[in-house]
Amino acid sequence: MKSIHLFFILLVGSLLLGSCDDEGSDTPTPDPGEGTESGSKFIITATPLASEGVADYILTADDLSTGSVSTTGNGIEQDGTYRYYVTNNNKFFSMLYGQGNPGAVTTYELNAEGELEKLSDFQSETVRAFAAVDDDILTIKMTASADDPYLYWYRISTNSLTIVDEGQINAQEVADKENGELSYFSWITPKDDKVYLPYFTIKGTPEGNWGTDYPDEANIAVYSYPEMELLETLTDDRTSFIGRYFTSGLTFDEQGDGYAFSSAVPMDADYQLVPTLPSAVTRVSNATGDFDDYYFNLEEASDGYVIDSHIYAGNGKFIGIMQNKAEMNSAWGGGKEYAIIDVYNQTFSWVTGMPDGATVTNVTTGGNNLVSEDGSTVYVGITTETGSFVYNIDVASATATQGIEVEGGLITAINVLTY
Amino acid sequence: MTKSSITIALSFLIFLSSLSGLLAQTITVSGSVADENGGPIPGATVLVVDADKGAITDIDGQYTISGLPQGLTTLRVSFLGYRTLEQAVELGGNARVTQNFVLQESAVDLEEVTVTGKSMVQEVREKAFNVEVIDAKGLHATSLDLAHALDRSSGVRVRESGGVGSQMNFSINGFRGNQVRIFIDGIPMDNLGSAFQLNNIPVGLAERIEVYKGVVPISLGSDALGGAVNIITNTYNKSHLDVSYSYGSFNTHRTIVNAIYVAPESGFTVQLNAFQNYSNNNYKMRDIDVADINTGEYFRNQTVERFHDTYHNETAIAYIGFVNKPYADELLVGATLGQNYREIQTGARVAAVYGSWHRKGDIVMPRLKYRKDDLLIKGLNVRLNANYNLGSEQNIDTLNRRYNWFGQFREYTSPGGERSYSLYKYRNNTGVVMGNAEYKFREQHTLALSNTLNSFDREGQDQLNPDNDDFNEPRKNLKNIIGLGYTFESDAWNASLFVKDYFQQNKFTKVTELEGYNNYEYTDAVNTFNSLGYGTALTWFLNDNLQFKASYEKSYRLPESDELFGDLINLEGNIDLKPEHSNNFNLGGSAWINTNKYNRFNVNLSGFYRHAQDFIRPRLNNNQVMIVMDNLGSVTNVGIDGEIRYQHKNALSAGINLSYQDLRNNTQFEGGQTIESSVYRDRIPNEPFLFGNGDVTYTFDNLWNKGHRLNIGYNLLYVHAFYLYWPSQGSEKFDIPEQISHELTLSYFLNDKFQFTAECKNLADGKLYDNFSLQKPGRNFTGKIRYNIF
Repeated sequence: MKSIHLFFILLVGSLLLGSCDDEGSDTPTPDPGEGTESGSKFIITATPLASEGVADYILTADDLSTGSVSTTGNGIEQDGTYRYYVTNNNKFFSMLYGQGNPGAVTTYELNAEGELEKLSDFQSETVRAFAAVDDDILTIKMTASADDPYLYWYRISTNSLTIVDEGQINAQEVADKENGELSYFSWITPKDDKVYLPYFTIKGTPEGNWGTDYPDEANIAVYSYPEMELLETLTDDRTSFIGRYFTSGLTFDEQGDGYAFSSAVPMDADYQLVPTLPSAVTRVSNATGDFDDYYFNLEEASDGYVIDSHIYAGNGKFIGIMQNKAEMNSAWGGGKEYAIIDVYNQTFSWVTGMPDGATVTNVTTGGNNLVSEDGSTVYVGITTETGSFVYNIDVASATATQGIEVEGGLITAINVLTY
Repeated sequence: MTKSSITIALSFLIFLSSLSGLLAQTITVSGSVADENGGPIPGATVLVVDADKGAITDIDGQYTISGLPQGLTTLRVSFLGYRTLEQAVELGGNARVTQNFVLQESAVDLEEVTVTGKSMVQEVREKAFNVEVIDAKGLHATSLDLAHALDRSSGVRVRESGGVGSQMNFSINGFRGNQVRIFIDGIPMDNLGSAFQLNNIPVGLAERIEVYKGVVPISLGSDALGGAVNIITNTYNKSHLDVSYSYGSFNTHRTIVNAIYVAPESGFTVQLNAFQNYSNNNYKMRDIDVADINTGEYFRNQTVERFHDTYHNETAIAYIGFVNKPYADELLVGATLGQNYREIQTGARVAAVYGSWHRKGDIVMPRLKYRKDDLLIKGLNVRLNANYNLGSEQNIDTLNRRYNWFGQFREYTSPGGERSYSLYKYRNNTGVVMGNAEYKFREQHTLALSNTLNSFDREGQDQLNPDNDDFNEPRKNLKNIIGLGYTFESDAWNASLFVKDYFQQNKFTKVTELEGYNNYEYTDAVNTFNSLGYGTALTWFLNDNLQFKASYEKSYRLPESDELFGDLINLEGNIDLKPEHSNNFNLGGSAWINTNKYNRFNVNLSGFYRHAQDFIRPRLNNNQVMIVMDNLGSVTNVGIDGEIRYQHKNALSAGINLSYQDLRNNTQFEGGQTIESSVYRDRIPNEPFLFGNGDVTYTFDNLWNKGHRLNIGYNLLYVHAFYLYWPSQGSEKFDIPEQISHELTLSYFLNDKFQFTAECKNLADGKLYDNFSLQKPGRNFTGKIRYNIF
């Protein structure tokens, strides 16, 4: 466990958080837990499986490779069923998806005893995409209605714990389509003084719903940061859109090249899949700042799977959560198979030691999983018909072992904090 | 004063008849009949048991019986609502004997100002169903609405999000929302719209309210899963006017007019019930964290006034027709007309504040009522009711602003709303036709047939999006519930057996996207359900003072139109929903105990068990944008309701009721899991499980003058704290704190013509919550004046 280090999830791959890393390497990393004056704690959030009255619970653990932790009689309750978590500046933020309503964001840090302590709460808008950018958290409240085509961004300072800036974006203008489709950002990926917002387009009318007439194109809106001014839109016609609903599809590697994952899941008004180009990886070149000719066909490499979400482990190696295209019956996620995707060498290998996909009922998606600081191990949350576990994937050998059991519920996110 | 005039006439007749025998006999008995307070009882019957003679007391309570033979005789004195008294009298040498009587009120006859009145209690006793009756008349002096009147009975919990007209959730024995049905005079109130809801109708409209728990008689033909409330409105068979007005804290005005005219000869009748509520609901909220409008930073523990919560509604129910005619006991046509306006101050949590979003609704409902007893043959009673609601609802959210609790806001120039940009307006076009026939034969047997047909046809449009065809797609359904029942009644016991057939047909449009540019195909689709429910109810009178009841029903609740088709705002349709169903068992007993003639007790105890499956519960749809209803979960509920009432003379009445319900999650395996759910057998969260009421009323009769009466009433509401989320989960948890609310009412009655009432609610000024974080009003006052003309 010595090697385990803070590295948090949501921004895996963006190694901009140098401060965070430095902070980590300054302190020797003792085994988390008993009697130590400083250390780290894993923060697992879990939600019980039930048809009503469900809250998220924040749990802590010292070790993800063994043991168990339970939501029964344990954990800090979070108001609202749909919460999302992000760590930045060694603070843990619990954000609400409030269906359009504002709500309180609660912030925690570890005290000297390694226990979670509420720092503060403040009011924020409902979130649809969020990411740690510098010392901020950038959140975006989206619109899926052409009647009201504006989306809103908020810049939250992790130091003052307040909203320090905000603005509006006209989603129709960003998409710039003759039929008035709206841009819907799949996620936020920061790089240098910019944020990259890959998007798909949706009709946003009661009839058209989330359907699109432009299934065969990938677009990334590039904004300056922190000004949030639209600089340019990168477009590519070799894949469908990058990322997917509530899922990051773009990660910059250590060289500053951005690897863009298309799940190939445009849909029609009935949420049914529309045929499109294969699921593949393309690249935004560090040198030119635009798509280059890099292309890795994931469907071909995996023999019929598309990527659902990804986790960057470093050095060109990604964990891909894959979904069998033949079994897909809706455009919303559902990947259950894990693979190591080496984008440098364009190799694809299935992870062994994971539970059989047929028994998996839920997985913790992409950025909500955790990578060890050295990139050697990726911790992923999985719920099978017999319970929820954190699996420890060894990246080098593409093998996984079952780790800590989370009794009582689905694992919504895995994070780490130090104290 | 009809009673007195009848009395006089009858006494006179009896007088005359007894005069004829005067010559032959020698002894005359006379005297007075009075109540315990010495007040005369006019109209009481005084009967000579062993002779075929009797008299009825006159307006002063006096009687005279002549022509009695000498010797020992027994006089029996009886009057409705009083215990029958027998007294042996020795008729000796005197030709004139004076014998006075004092009658004790009968135990089952509690005075009007207490919970139940005579005839109702009798009715309740005869019913085998687990039913509770609230005497609304006793509450007419108060400013209560129907919801709050119901909240005082056992097993019932009303939860409100705020003040007057706020969103309300009603539950009976843990069943809530559409699982319980509300009826007015036996007509289902489903889909009547926001202008006609339990918490905006004054209690003055009702004569009594019946609460059926678990098992619902077929005469209330609806798909109630766990119970029903039937509101019986005031009926008068003669001209009458009743007007009241109240004013209270938060600029709250309420007016009620009940007027009826009956032509003595022709039976022509005109009825009007009209009421109005207005309130700014600008009560103070304490310890609120107010967010800075720009930074989101909280200013802690502020006291703020609600600034966007005005509510008003105006409703009139009018009928014209005939009563007491050979072809009809009642034949009336009329309409309910009403409107309401509601500003929305908060969302589901206090953190969400709104400053301009509001809703409007109206009701335009023509109605036909027909009732005839002994139609064609004796014992055949027929009832027919029909109505059609043309009312509409509109959601108005067109200002793109964000408010905070200080009333500050920031405005965005782009079009948008505070929550969701909308001017959506719809009408549900609901129709109900309900027919009941009851045939009573050979005294003890009754056969009943009941049929209720509901239709629904939603039309809607949004001015912001007038070309949107989506709003024009058919959203129709037809629901028919037919019930057949048999009842056997004897003195000692009675039993009912019934079956109900639930049928539903839904028509909707399936939209399929076609190749090409914004091209859609619309296909009409139909689906239907059919379910059979049944039940039985038994009761046994051990003696006059002890009764036992048992009942069972296999009940169904059909999916609502909104649940099937969505509401185009927040709710996505799910056309594959199945009905919810439940097995409901009840067991109960009632005892009437008279320790002596001044002190009377009534004890009611009932236990119940419910096992419900395929609950229709909300979940987020795939993209988490909208709510969709699904058949999820199963629960069991074991509970007990208890009530004790005490009455001292006519002056003091006190009661206490307590309900405990143990609602447990019975879903052992959640979808796809082979391990037991961590919340299996856990208590259902966010649902009160222990609550009760206490009340004391003291009446000063004939205070300084005859006809002057003063009532002092106190009411206590208690709700045990409960968890917002599953009790077994987590260690730092959210809860809805214990609620204790005191209410004091002072009423002064002047000859039963004028009433003056002063009320104080939430006397202790506690912070009260029915729902997580949504504070209810603090201490508040109301004054009311009421005027009656008979």
